Amino acid sequence: MNIFNRFFLRAVLLPSGLYRKMGVNIPHLKAILTTKLMMDDRRVSGIQQTRKKKLKKEPKNTTIGSMLATAIMGCVFLFAFSVGKDYLTQLTIYFSFYIFTLTSVLISDFTSVLIDVRDNLIILPKPVNDKTFVLARLLHVVIHVSKLVMPMALPTVIALGIKEGISGFLPFIFLVIAATLFTIFLINAMYLLILKFTTPERFKSIISYFQIFFAIFFYAGYQLVPRLVSKTLISGYSIASFKYAFLTVPYWFAAGWQYLHDFQWNSPLFIYFLLTILLPVFSIWIVIKYFAPSFNRKLSMIGGSESETAPVQQKGKAIVSTTSAYISTLGGWLTEKGTERMSFLHTWKMTGRSRDFKLKVYPSVGYIAVYMVLLFVNNGKLSLDNMHNQTGPGKFVFMSVIYFSSFALMMAIYQLAYSDKYKAAWIYFITPIQSPGKLLSGALKSIIVKLYLPMVVLTCIAALIIVGPQVIPNLIFGIFNQILIITFVGYLALRDIPFSTQQASVKGSGFIRGLVSMILPLILGTLHFFVYPYLIVIIVLGILSIIASWLMMDALKNKGWGKIQVKEYES
Amino acid sequence: MDPIISLKNVYKSYGAKQVLKGINLDIYPGQVIGYIGPNGAGKSTTVKILCGLISDYEGEVSIEGINLKQDPIAVKAKIGYVPELAELYDVLTPVEFLGFMGELYNMPKELATDRITKMLAAFGLEANMHQRMDTFSKGMRQKVLISSGLLHNPDIIILDEPLSGLDANSVIIVKDLISKLAKDGKTIFYCSHMMDVVEKVSDRIVLINEGTVIADGSFEELQQQQGNQSLEKIFAHMTSKDSLSDAADQLMNAFGN
Repeated sequence: MNIFNRFFLRAVLLPSGLYRKMGVNIPHLKAILTTKLMMDDRRVSGIQQTRKKKLKKEPKNTTIGSMLATAIMGCVFLFAFSVGKDYLTQLTIYFSFYIFTLTSVLISDFTSVLIDVRDNLIILPKPVNDKTFVLARLLHVVIHVSKLVMPMALPTVIALGIKEGISGFLPFIFLVIAATLFTIFLINAMYLLILKFTTPERFKSIISYFQIFFAIFFYAGYQLVPRLVSKTLISGYSIASFKYAFLTVPYWFAAGWQYLHDFQWNSPLFIYFLLTILLPVFSIWIVIKYFAPSFNRKLSMIGGSESETAPVQQKGKAIVSTTSAYISTLGGWLTEKGTERMSFLHTWKMTGRSRDFKLKVYPSVGYIAVYMVLLFVNNGKLSLDNMHNQTGPGKFVFMSVIYFSSFALMMAIYQLAYSDKYKAAWIYFITPIQSPGKLLSGALKSIIVKLYLPMVVLTCIAALIIVGPQVIPNLIFGIFNQILIITFVGYLALRDIPFSTQQASVKGSGFIRGLVSMILPLILGTLHFFVYPYLIVIIVLGILSIIASWLMMDALKNKGWGKIQVKEYES
Repeated sequence: MDPIISLKNVYKSYGAKQVLKGINLDIYPGQVIGYIGPNGAGKSTTVKILCGLISDYEGEVSIEGINLKQDPIAVKAKIGYVPELAELYDVLTPVEFLGFMGELYNMPKELATDRITKMLAAFGLEANMHQRMDTFSKGMRQKVLISSGLLHNPDIIILDEPLSGLDANSVIIVKDLISKLAKDGKTIFYCSHMMDVVEKVSDRIVLINEGTVIADGSFEELQQQQGNQSLEKIFAHMTSKDSLSDAADQLMNAFGN
């Protein structure tokens, strides 16, 4: 156990005498907390899990790692102090970020770390009394949240301490605690709300959508906000100019700090200070009174393996497949009957239902979308006029949008081989499949239809409206170049049967693949850029690109067993 | 002799669905109870009530004369439970996990460590004692689970499919262990679907179906009532409405045009 865990453990056990009087068994409490912290230390935390691939080594001391990561995030928050002309504005922004970030991190931790459903079978049959168990859970939450909050707030505490002295950081510490309590309330409320509208089985996928949304939102905020708003505007901005600011919670916290900092009893800011005290108290009261009783019970249903909670299928009511008829039709057009079509539909369902896949792929699709927006925002000389005439920056943006779009699929292609249930791929190795390449081409087509087709439709509509029908040859050439790139990368990258590999096995050839998927769009894009005005050349090259895509897909389809890794699974 | 486990008119429902419909059972020290029944009969619900995992049942359950509702902690201390699903904190090592269990059972540390080492060694897990369990096979996890149920030397041992995942040699060890524990005066509550094992291991068989006890007695007694056949046949005869060989026929017919 590392120094931080030992420190926290000792800190929360300080009032042991009090606990004992409440009827808590201290050795049990200590044993449960020690074990929980030890396990936390070996688990990759929420703050890192969306980015990092599974580690090869056994994760060790992840506490220190995630505390460091959180501290860095805390430093990023300092940018809030470069915005606006007064502390009220800066702290409003700071607390907005703080509450938002904490919510996004804790929302996933709550189910995976803090409320471990295994507790029900492991700890509850043991002679541990309820008070001890509840207190252990509570203190574990406190420690876990502190491990996040402390490094996150530390940079600002130091900064305020240097700038304002004691009257700067002491009120801040107080308000951070209040904001944290409020955030926990917020998460509780969100959980309960989600559970109200959905079944516990779907709960986890909804939480993962939250994570995807937060990841994209952060990236967008990080990329767009500084660019959208000019520097002078930022530094001169005051929250006071926004009339309804006083209705927002972060503003209360900021005003609360201002009140404590100035320390004038009769200041009108007193009302906000009062709110910052009342809000957490009120939140905790609601949590204890209304949320907590049903909360644990409902949460334990989420991970429950009980057949009692399994949905009862009504007799005579057929199970309706969510793969709608139009996908089958689309598959009918695009794929060959048999293995390839089976793989197309199978991949469609798997990618739509696998939480893991979505969690890995959708953020990267979102990043590309953000990047596209960035192309428009970033370009000062861009105008509707030069976009319409396809000159200068207008042409550049058009090309960039087309040639960037394939990046969104790269992650999906790499992710295709992986699955939580990778062992289920034994079915491919025991059935008499003649040409396994068709499994790959079917899966690749499925991904293209699912992720690229919507982008193509959007791009085409936008291009036709802004530029007009004269763009069509270039559009077609560009799009087929993308498909060529995607199939080429697919040919290189897809060497495993879809969904047949464990996430942990990271291959060494990733670099080459990454390079190809970067360079190929660049080469083709540059080429396209220069031949853009010559219609005949574009048409000829467009036809060549279509043929090349076709041949590439055919090559993938004809990959034999020799080029595919056959897996042996241990039991 | 007073029963060590006694259930009187135990009812339990999940919502509108009644799972236990008045279970009456008296179990005496040193007995090995084979608790069998088809899926959904109420087996695991009974086990969970005995382990103190479910408290909102009706009726009276007492263990060694202690009312389960009044003092669940005292009851839990006397029971060792090996759950069916291999639920354990698999980022821990067996020694860490069992040490934790020992602390929850209020065992002195030296005693716990000594027992853990001996038990794991006996199960052939010496080399894996300090490895994290996330790499363990199902059988290895099961051995750790069995150790965790026996660690505090309980009077009552509840085993839910304890042989799942174990190899043939380990199965012999555990079966042998069960009879030795019974000889030592322990009461064993054995839940399983493997009729041949139940037939051999238990000296009293309790068969439940749809929430009620439909047969109770030694294997020989059951044979006298139901005709001289294997437990598997007796079980099928008593719990299935349709003839099972009809089902097999229908499966064969599926091949036909």
